[in-house]
Amino acid sequence: MIVAGGPVIPNFGSGSKCETTGGWWCTDWLRSHWGDTLQPALVQHVELSLLAIAIGFVLALGLALVGYRFRLLDGPIGAFSDFLYTIPSLALFQLLVPITGLTETTVEIALVSYTLLILYRNMVAGLQNVPPEALESARGMGLTPLQMFLRVELPLAVPTIVAGLRIATVSTISIATVAAFVIPKGLGRPIFIALQQDLFKTEIIAAGGLCIALALAADILLVFVQRALTPWSRA
Amino acid sequence: MIVADQFHPSTFVDAFRFIGDNPHLLLVETGKHLELALTALAIALVLALPLGLWLGHKHRGLFLALSVSSVGRALPSLVLIAFATLTPLGIGFWNNTVALTVLAVPSILTNAYFAISSVDADVVEAARGMGLAERDILLHVELPLGLPLVMAGIRIAAIFVIATATIAAIAGGSGLGEIIVDQASYGLAGVVGASLCVSALTLLAAGLLSLMTRSSYRRPEPKA
Amino acid sequence: MNLISTIGREGLMVRKHTRRAAKAAYAVSLAVAIVIGLITAASAGAAPKAKPTVTIGTKNFTEQYVLGQLYKQALEAKGYKVVYKENIGSSELIDTAIKSGKINFYPEYDGVIVTDLAHKSFSKTAAATYAAAKSWEEGRGLTLLKATPFYDSDGFVVTTATAKKYGVKTIADMKKVKSFSYAGFPECKTRMTCLLGLKQIYGLKQVKFVPLASISVYTLLDEGKITAGDGFSTDPQLQGSKYTTLTDTKHIFGFQNVAPVVTKALAADATLVKTVNAVSAKLTIPAMIAMNKAVAIDKKSPADVAAAFLKANHLS
Repeated sequence: MIVAGGPVIPNFGSGSKCETTGGWWCTDWLRSHWGDTLQPALVQHVELSLLAIAIGFVLALGLALVGYRFRLLDGPIGAFSDFLYTIPSLALFQLLVPITGLTETTVEIALVSYTLLILYRNMVAGLQNVPPEALESARGMGLTPLQMFLRVELPLAVPTIVAGLRIATVSTISIATVAAFVIPKGLGRPIFIALQQDLFKTEIIAAGGLCIALALAADILLVFVQRALTPWSRA
Repeated sequence: MIVADQFHPSTFVDAFRFIGDNPHLLLVETGKHLELALTALAIALVLALPLGLWLGHKHRGLFLALSVSSVGRALPSLVLIAFATLTPLGIGFWNNTVALTVLAVPSILTNAYFAISSVDADVVEAARGMGLAERDILLHVELPLGLPLVMAGIRIAAIFVIATATIAAIAGGSGLGEIIVDQASYGLAGVVGASLCVSALTLLAAGLLSLMTRSSYRRPEPKA
Repeated sequence: MNLISTIGREGLMVRKHTRRAAKAAYAVSLAVAIVIGLITAASAGAAPKAKPTVTIGTKNFTEQYVLGQLYKQALEAKGYKVVYKENIGSSELIDTAIKSGKINFYPEYDGVIVTDLAHKSFSKTAAATYAAAKSWEEGRGLTLLKATPFYDSDGFVVTTATAKKYGVKTIADMKKVKSFSYAGFPECKTRMTCLLGLKQIYGLKQVKFVPLASISVYTLLDEGKITAGDGFSTDPQLQGSKYTTLTDTKHIFGFQNVAPVVTKALAADATLVKTVNAVSAKLTIPAMIAMNKAVAIDKKSPADVAAAFLKANHLS
C-alpha cells in the first residue's frame, strides 16, 4: 500500500484465525513468539528468583546462626520475619517504590524479605532439632564447638533446611510474577499484556503454565538435592 | 505502573494523611476486600475441611494430601487469577472468588489430614474399644486433639487469601487492591496509604487467628 | 559423617598450595588491570565526543509500545545508545519521570499536554494545540520535536447494538439515557479531555466512572459490564462495525497529534532531531492503525512491527 509521498505500509502479516480471535491454544502464536516473548520472560523469571533465593539463603543462614547461638534474639528476629511475610506482595512493592524506584532492586528486596521468614524459621528449627545424644557423643569425642557445629549440627539440620528451601523457592517463583507490575520482566509481563489485549487466552495459559512448570521443576529438583545430601535418611 | 520520586520521608507522612482524610473510602474498600476474601475462605472451608478430616480419620489418601500440598504451593497466585478471567465467570466478583478458593484449599486440606491422621493410634483404639461410633471418634476424640494443626492450616489459608485479594484488582476485583494499582487517581500517598492498610489488615487477621489457634491448645475438660 | 571429616584433613594440604596459587593470581590480575586501565585512558582521550544516551519512556498501551519501538530502533540504527523503559504509566506519571530526569524522551499527545498537564483551555486548531504545548514545555526546560501527521483522540465508544438500543448518534444524545457507566484509564477521571469534559461541557452528570486496571475497554464492552468506554481513535477494534464512536460535537477530546517530549540537551543534538522527525513524518493515521492492528489483533510483537515499518521506509 503506497500512498504518494506518504509512508510505505508493509504487510505485517495477518494473524491466524486463532490469534485474531484470541483462541485457547494458538500453536502458530506459540511458535513465533517463543523466542521474543516467552523464553526471555522465563529466563528473566529464573534470574529474579535465583538471585532472591541466593541472597535470602545467605542472609537467613547468618540470622539463623545468630538466633541459634543467642536464644534471646530468636524471638525478635522471628517476629520481624513474620511481620514481613504478612505484607501482601503488591503492597510491599508499592511501599518500596518511593525508596528504591522502579528497578530490579525494589523487586529483589521484596522477594528476599519473603524468603527470610521461611528459611530463617526452618534453619533455626533444624539446628534446634539435632538430637542431644549426637551432641553428647560429639562432645565425648573431644570435638571443639566449631567442629561440632560444622560436622554434627549443620549436617543433621540439612533435611529441615532443604525442606524450607523447597517452600521458599516455590513461593519466590510465585511472587516473582507480581514483579511485572514494577519492572517489565518475568513471566508476569506476558500475563499483564495478555489481560490488556482482550484476554488473549493462549498467552495467559502459556505464561501461566510455564510458571507452574518452573515451580514444580524446582520443587522436584530440590527433593533430589535433599535425598543426595542426606544419604543416611534413605537407609 | 508507578513512578518513583526522589525518596521523601514525607511520602509516608502524606500516606498517613491520606488515611486520615479518607476514612470512608478506605472502610468501604476494606469491606469489599474482606467480602471477597471471606467468601473464598468460607467456600474453601466447606469443600476442604470435611474432606481433610474424614480422609485423615480413615488414614486414606496420603498421596492425595501430599500432592495437593505440593501442587497447591506451586500455583502462583497471579496465574490463578489470570486463569480465572478466562472462565465464563466474567471479570468481577466470582472469577476472583474461585481463584482465591483454589488457593485456600491446599493448606486447609493438608493440615486437616495430618492433624487427624497423626493423633495417637492408642487413643483412637481405646475410643473404638469403648464402642464409640466412627463419627463420634472423629468429632469428639481426634478433632479436639488435632485442633491446633487444623487451626494453623486455616490461619495460613486466611492470610494467603487476604493478601492475594489485593492482586484481584487487576482482574476486576474490588477491595484495597483497587487503590493500590491506581496511582493516577489516588496519588502516591493513596497507594502507599492503602498498602499500609492492607498490611495492617493482614496482620490483624494473622494475630486474631493466632490467638484462636493458641486457645485451641487448651484440652477440653475431661468429663467425670 | 566420615566423608566430612576426611575432607578436613586433606583440606589443610590443599590450603597451602592454594595460598601460593592465590598470590600468583592476584599479581597477574593486578598487572592486567593496570594495563587495561592505561589503554582505556589513552583511547578515551582520543575518542570523539560520545552521542548522548537516550532514555525512552512509554505509557501503558499498544500504540505507545509501537511508538516507543519505532523511535528506539531508528535511533539505535544511527548509533545511539537507547535505554528503554516501557510501560511507565499515564501522562501525569511519565511527566514526573522526565522532570526528575529518569527519562529524557517520551511520545506525548499534544492536546493532553495543553488541557491536562498545563491545565489550559482547548485550542481551536491542531497547529494552535501544538504551539501551546510546545511553549508550555519550553517554559520548564523541555521541548517538543515535530508532530506526527496522525492524531489519536479519546472517544466515546459504545457497541453498535447499544447505540441502536438507545438511539444515540452524538455524545449530546446521551443526555436522554437515565444512567450509564463509562470506563477509562484512571487518569480519565480528572481530565477535561475525558470524564470532566463529559460532566461539565456535555452536562452528563449521570455518568458513573469505571476505572480500568488491566482489562481493556473492548473486553468490558463485550461482556456487557459497561455501557460506554474511552476508546482511542486509532484502535484497530474501531475499524469494524462492532463498535460505534459517538460524534464529539463539542470537541472536548481535542486535537491529539503525537510529538516527542525531550530534554533541551537532547534537542541540541542535530542528528537526533533529524532522525526522530524523519520517523514522525511517516506516521499517518493509516500507518498507525495498521501497526496497532498488527500488534493488538494479529498478535505480532511491537518490536517486529516497528522493525518492518522502519525497514520498508528506509529509516533503519
